[in-house]
Amino acid sequence: MNTSNGSITCPEYKARLNTAASLVETVKTQIRQDVLRKRNLVWLELTGCSGNIISLLDGSNPDFKYLISQMTHFIYNNSLLASEGQNAMEQLFSIPGSDYILAVEGAVATKNNGLYNIIGRLNGKWITALEAVKTLGEKAAHVIAIGACATHGGVSAARPNPAKCVSVQSVLNRKVIKLPGCPCHPDWFMGTIAHILLYGQPELDSRDRPLLFYSTLIHDRCPRRSYFDKGIFAEKLGDKTCMFKLGCRGPVTRIDCPIRQWNQYVNWPIEDDTPCIGCAQFGFPDAMEPFISYNITRGVKK
Amino acid sequence: MRVQDFSGKNLDRIMAEINYDISLLYVVPCIYTRNLILNHLIDRISMVESVAVAMSQTVQPQILPLQPGVTPIADPPALMQPMAPGTQATFTLQELSRFDGKGGNPAYVAVNGIVYDVTNNATWAAATHFGLTAGKNLTNEFASCHAGQPILSKLRAVGKLETM
Repeated sequence: MNTSNGSITCPEYKARLNTAASLVETVKTQIRQDVLRKRNLVWLELTGCSGNIISLLDGSNPDFKYLISQMTHFIYNNSLLASEGQNAMEQLFSIPGSDYILAVEGAVATKNNGLYNIIGRLNGKWITALEAVKTLGEKAAHVIAIGACATHGGVSAARPNPAKCVSVQSVLNRKVIKLPGCPCHPDWFMGTIAHILLYGQPELDSRDRPLLFYSTLIHDRCPRRSYFDKGIFAEKLGDKTCMFKLGCRGPVTRIDCPIRQWNQYVNWPIEDDTPCIGCAQFGFPDAMEPFISYNITRGVKK
Repeated sequence: MRVQDFSGKNLDRIMAEINYDISLLYVVPCIYTRNLILNHLIDRISMVESVAVAMSQTVQPQILPLQPGVTPIADPPALMQPMAPGTQATFTLQELSRFDGKGGNPAYVAVNGIVYDVTNNATWAAATHFGLTAGKNLTNEFASCHAGQPILSKLRAVGKLETM
C-alpha cells in the first residue's frame, strides 16, 4: 500500500492501470532490439461516428504517432489516409495476401446487400462496407471489433435501425476480438494490439472480450460502492452518493473505467456525478435506457 | 439458494470459502481488496443464514424471505407498502403492474409464477433491466437469458402470480 500524498493507492489497481502501458513498453523495447517485427494494421470504418479513431488519437500510452510509426505499419484508415479515391482503395485491397491485423469500427449495414454504406469506388465499382469487411475479415490474422457498433451493433443498430446494421461478428465466420465501449478507450486497443504483437491473442471471456480490461464490473470497483451497500442513494445529479436509483448501469457493465479513467486518466462519469450509461455493455444503447430516471423507487436516505 | 439445493457438498464449499476469506483478511494490506473480500464474506454468510431460516420454517421454500448479500440491508419504506416476507400474497397481473418501481413504489417482477422484489437489486437500476421494466411477468424473458443460472434463489420472493 502506497500512502504518498496522503492518499492510498492499491498496488493491484496501480498494476492494472499500467497493463496497457507496460505491454506497449515491452513492444517498444523488443522492436528497437529487432526481436519483434512490426505488423500491418488496417483500420476500417463502417457505419459509425468515427468516435473510436478520435478516442485513439487522444491516447497517451503511447500516443497515436508512435502506434502508426513504430509499432505497426498503419496501412489504411479512411479519415487519416493521405491517399484518396482510387489510390486509397487500391492501397486497401492490395492488403489481402499479406499478414495483417484488421481493426474495425462501426457496424455493418446489411440492408439492400450493404448499399446503405459505400466506403469507396474501386475501378468504377462501388465497394460496400459489407463487402470490404467480409473480404478483409476472412483473410486477416486477427480481427478486432472496436467500439459498441462494431462489437454488437451499438448506436448504429439502435431502434428502428433503418440500415439493418449488425455487428462485425454477424458477417464473419471466425473469431473476432471485441472491445465494446462508446467509444473504446485508447488503452484497451493499444493494450490488445501490443499483446497480439508480443504473445498473440489475449485471453478472452465467453463474449470474446480481453480479460485484461473487461474482467470486473464497474460496480465492484466503484468508489461509491459503500453507499450502495448501506442503501444511501443519490436523488439528483450532483449528489455524491450511489446513483443506482437514478439508473446507474455500473452493476451490469464489465470494464475498468473506475481505475483507468478517461482523457489521459483524468476522470470518469461517476466521479463527475453522472451515472454510468453502460456504454461498454452489449446491448447499448437500447438495453441500457433510460440513462437517467427521476421517477424512482423510494429508498433515498437523507 | 433453496433448502433442497443446499446439499452437504454445497455447505462444505461455502464454509471453505468463508474460512478462506477469513484467512485472506489477515494478510491483505489493501483496503480495497479487503472490502471486496468482506463483501464476498457477507454474501456467503447470508447464504448460510437464509438456509438456516428456511430450515426452521415449514412454509414453502420458494416464497421465503431470502436475502441476497449484496442488497442493501435496510429496506426503505415505500408508498405502496412492500409485502411482508412470507405473507404468500397473490398478485393478479394488474396488481403486479402497480409495483413498477415508479413514484416511490417497490419494483416487483414475476418469474415462473413467483413474484420477486427487485427494488434494491443492483442489476435493476431505476427499476429497469436491459430494456425490461418492473411490474410485469417476465417468465419468458428470464428463460431466454438466465436459464440454469442461480439467480432466482437470491431474490426475495414476495408472493405468487395468480394464474387464470
